Amino acid sequence: MQFQKEVEIRASREKVWQFIWDVDRFIACVPGCKEAKTLEQGKRYTATMVEKVGPFKVEFPTNIEVLEREEMSRIKAQASGADNKIGSRMKIDLDVNLREQGDNTILGFVAGVNILGKLAALGHGIIKRKADQVLDEFAQAVKKQLEGDS
Amino acid sequence: MLRRFRLEEPEHVSQVSELLSRFGDSAKIYAGGTELLLAMKEGLVQYERLINVKNLNCRDVTLENGALSIGALSTHRELETSKTIKEKLPALAKLEHNVANVRVRQVGTLGGNLCFAEPHADPGTLLIALGAKMIAEKSSSQRELDAEKFFVDAFETALEPDEVLTKIVIPVPGAAGRSAYLKFGYLERPSVGVGLAFNLNGQVSSMRIAVGCAGPAPRRVPEAEALLEGKSREEAERNLAQAGALAGRAAQAITDLHGSQDYKEHIVGILLKRAFLSALS
Repeated sequence: MQFQKEVEIRASREKVWQFIWDVDRFIACVPGCKEAKTLEQGKRYTATMVEKVGPFKVEFPTNIEVLEREEMSRIKAQASGADNKIGSRMKIDLDVNLREQGDNTILGFVAGVNILGKLAALGHGIIKRKADQVLDEFAQAVKKQLEGDS
Repeated sequence: MLRRFRLEEPEHVSQVSELLSRFGDSAKIYAGGTELLLAMKEGLVQYERLINVKNLNCRDVTLENGALSIGALSTHRELETSKTIKEKLPALAKLEHNVANVRVRQVGTLGGNLCFAEPHADPGTLLIALGAKMIAEKSSSQRELDAEKFFVDAFETALEPDEVLTKIVIPVPGAAGRSAYLKFGYLERPSVGVGLAFNLNGQVSSMRIAVGCAGPAPRRVPEAEALLEGKSREEAERNLAQAGALAGRAAQAITDLHGSQDYKEHIVGILLKRAFLSALS
């Protein structure tokens, strides 16, 4: 499943870039994400992703690895995790990019999400819808965080 | 494999509601089990407690003040063979006759079907078109929800965590009343379902159309209803293609194994036309 999202933020590119690396503030914007830890600054992190569709709950302890980093403009990362309780795995390839638009910054994401195992039985459409919602909420939360303190 | 769980067997709705309050997410109501036990066997959900509600007195089909009252624990088989339903709401009897297979219908309950809110289920769609009300009870209170507000999302209803669906009340159509439900699919569950209900007294009135299975939850499509409301039978028939296209777009269809969004939208249009003609015949 491929997802693409862009959000225009009333803040400088520098400020948005700093925000992305401020793990606590950044994680607070990811719906269902908790217990984020830095294993190696700028490179490896862990977090737990919790999501719910009706009675179906998943909890993915997730490893996040930053694969590429271009200062102030691009981050390429990979996140993977497994929920052993329900026997499902997920892998996310994430491309984050920043570009200036006047005084504002366009924050863009391209995410390739793979869900394997029993969770996939819920159906591609339902999972895609949920992931869309999560991405929307995330984008709005980032906007609010950054514009709120400008 | 089904993991061990504790089985509670309350006899009153208030006890069910109290158990739900006390045990929260670790407990779940168990009626026919045709959806829940499958999900548990697959390991998709786990509960420490199942609250067997089959001892509750919620299984009657009665006529009350011009409305059909169906106990939530009525099985699909009981509804498909009910004389009262066959006589007063033949479209519902036909729908129930076509739910899954006879083994599922024998134990699966209408209430369980509605509360599990599987997106590819049949009954919710027709109940929305028929203007049904869902009666939800808890320890100290009872409330009525419109069927169209009952379904919130895939696998999600408007029931509060400690509420129990006890009854479904459907206004019985008068002599001019027409209704139909049609579905189409090539897998075990339908890809699209369309339900409609209206009165025909020289012209079409009280038109209600609902689309299910295509999207995350069944929904009413007032955009399409407006094209048929107040029209003569001939005018309505001429507007069917346009109404079908509108209903398709409004269905919030999602692409999945049951078909692409475009495909489902197209089928909605076809089924709407056929359901309208079938309701007239």
